[in-house]
Amino acid sequence: MKSLLDTVKGPWYIAVYTWREGLRRKTLVGFLILSLLVIFGATFMTSFINQATVGDVTTDMDLKLIKDICVTTISIFGILITIFISASVVPTEIENRVIYTVLSKPVRRFQYLFGKFLGIQLIIIMNLCLMGGLFFIALYIKQQILPTLLLWSVFLTYFEFLIVSALTFAVACASSSSVLPTIAGLFIYITGSLTEYLKDVYNRSGQTGEWLDSLIGYIAYILWNVLPNLQRFSLKTQIINSQPNDPPTDVLIPQLVIYGLIYAVCGYILAYWIFRKREV
Amino acid sequence: MNNSHDPIIKTENLTKVYDTGFRGEQVSALKNLNLEVFPSEIFGYLGPNGSGKTTTIKLLLGLIFPTSGSIQIMGTTDIYSAYIKKNIGYLPEGSYYPDFLKGEEILRFYGQLYGLTGKKLHKRIDEVLELVGMKHARKRMLKGYSKGMRQRIGLAQALISDPQILILDEPTTGLDPIARKEIRDILSRLRDEGKTLLISSHELLEVEMISNRVGILYEGILRVSGTLDELLTSKDRIIEFSNAKNGVVQEIKEKGGEVVDQIKDRVYLKVKSDEELYNAIELGKSVGLQLIKITPRRETLEELFISVIDLAKKERSS
Ligand SMILES: Nc1ncnc2c1ncn2[C@@H]1O[C@H](COP(=O)(O)OP(=O)(O)OP(=O)(O)O)[C@@H](O)[C@H]1O
Ligand SMILES: [Mg+2]
Repeated sequence: MKSLLDTVKGPWYIAVYTWREGLRRKTLVGFLILSLLVIFGATFMTSFINQATVGDVTTDMDLKLIKDICVTTISIFGILITIFISASVVPTEIENRVIYTVLSKPVRRFQYLFGKFLGIQLIIIMNLCLMGGLFFIALYIKQQILPTLLLWSVFLTYFEFLIVSALTFAVACASSSSVLPTIAGLFIYITGSLTEYLKDVYNRSGQTGEWLDSLIGYIAYILWNVLPNLQRFSLKTQIINSQPNDPPTDVLIPQLVIYGLIYAVCGYILAYWIFRKREV
Repeated sequence: MNNSHDPIIKTENLTKVYDTGFRGEQVSALKNLNLEVFPSEIFGYLGPNGSGKTTTIKLLLGLIFPTSGSIQIMGTTDIYSAYIKKNIGYLPEGSYYPDFLKGEEILRFYGQLYGLTGKKLHKRIDEVLELVGMKHARKRMLKGYSKGMRQRIGLAQALISDPQILILDEPTTGLDPIARKEIRDILSRLRDEGKTLLISSHELLEVEMISNRVGILYEGILRVSGTLDELLTSKDRIIEFSNAKNGVVQEIKEKGGEVVDQIKDRVYLKVKSDEELYNAIELGKSVGLQLIKITPRRETLEELFISVIDLAKKERSS
């Protein structure tokens, strides 16, 4: 028990350190402030304008628009922050050589990576809480109903981010700069959000019988199988169209959580496998 | 545990080849290194730029991995274990530490990684800050530290766990003479407390002052290693005469004496053997000089270093 505690203590200190360091990054803080401004602007400003022009009637249309803007903001800025931080934490530390002093301490490499990964998750969670929290408050003020559906959405979005974060992190563990992993992260996110189309491409391919056609179909098939389907984590349509306190429908939350965790574990194992023998 | 005659750090045929670039170019940075560092000594690890000192140190710390050969620290080859790491303090080359933390926060962070917590850690932070003379700047951010202050905080973090072994990569580079002296004193004191220090350096004079043993590395090969007494023996002696008059130096030179210096009425002759010594005394007497004293002259580390490197260069070109 004591030894178990010792194995997680090191990573925990590294995680806290990573989190503190992350908050110093201008890009991250910039994204965060911008997203909060957009959410704030979209909700409070429109209500201000509405009151000035149409009185206190908020139309259904307005509300939908606001929700759309905010949900989109959370996912776009959220994923940018996720990718940015997951791609840069390890390469930065190798670049500024702080890693020398850390890895020479009684910290095994899997512990080091675990600490870094945990720190990244802390940043992502904090950032989701801030954005989601602001939206939550805004929505509550507007509609006077606790928007519990939003909480579910933020919860699921985290697991979506977790997947992207873990895979980006694995790429980052092989890179010496954060450029490549950032691009990889964006690629994973974009294709992961389009896996339905990949399936479509596969289904339609092979009709002409040309080799290029079949090749594209084949690649699409592999990507469709390997890449996570990130679309499943989105509650956007439901948030926009239903009552804020409706329970989430059409999603199997426990399954999605497990789905996310499996990808995260795979990403972490891949990261460790890459980093295990890496020379710094 | 360890017998004091057994090396505390030992490498056997340690070899490191770096793969560089995509074209498969290779740099052979270390070749069959057999290094031995004994307990409670300061080992001066010397060598010109690019000779492989940092490579050796990184191998010892598990930051990079050997191409072949083995490393033993404190009697075990499992040098990546927490037990070994707990007993090693490391000061990397250059001073790269988290900039956004305060001096004491950095020490807290590193201390925590060693498993220190609470009061014990707090006390230890106070002790090492005192030791390296950084108490006054403990609440300041590292960003605002000068080079010397960074180096001191670096030393403090290497010492935080009170390790048995200290591995310091160029600890005094970029420091002013007073800071150097202070660091040197700290290092000697640590050695006197029984710690083992492996110090890589370019400062030969400094290394000569504090080391018990040295090793000289060149192009990845350890050219010599041994105690300073073993390595710097020399039969050279300096004879000091007084009562020198004008033209006497010329006269001595004509008679085959080697004058190394002349100050006022003093003349200094260098001799390389007993026979030369007696001849020189006779010579001095014959030109009317008065014998003041004979002092053995130890070779300096600098001379040894240069001759070792020269020899290595000649060997390579032939
Ligand atoms: N990561 C690396 N990849 C490729 N070659 C490297 C790498 N690190 C060091 N080298 C090469 O290995 C050799 C030894 O370098 P090392 O840094 O060990 O020298 P050093 O003795 O510490 O030199 P200095 O006194 O300048 O610090 C050099 O030729 C260097 O170019
Ligand atoms: Mg070096």
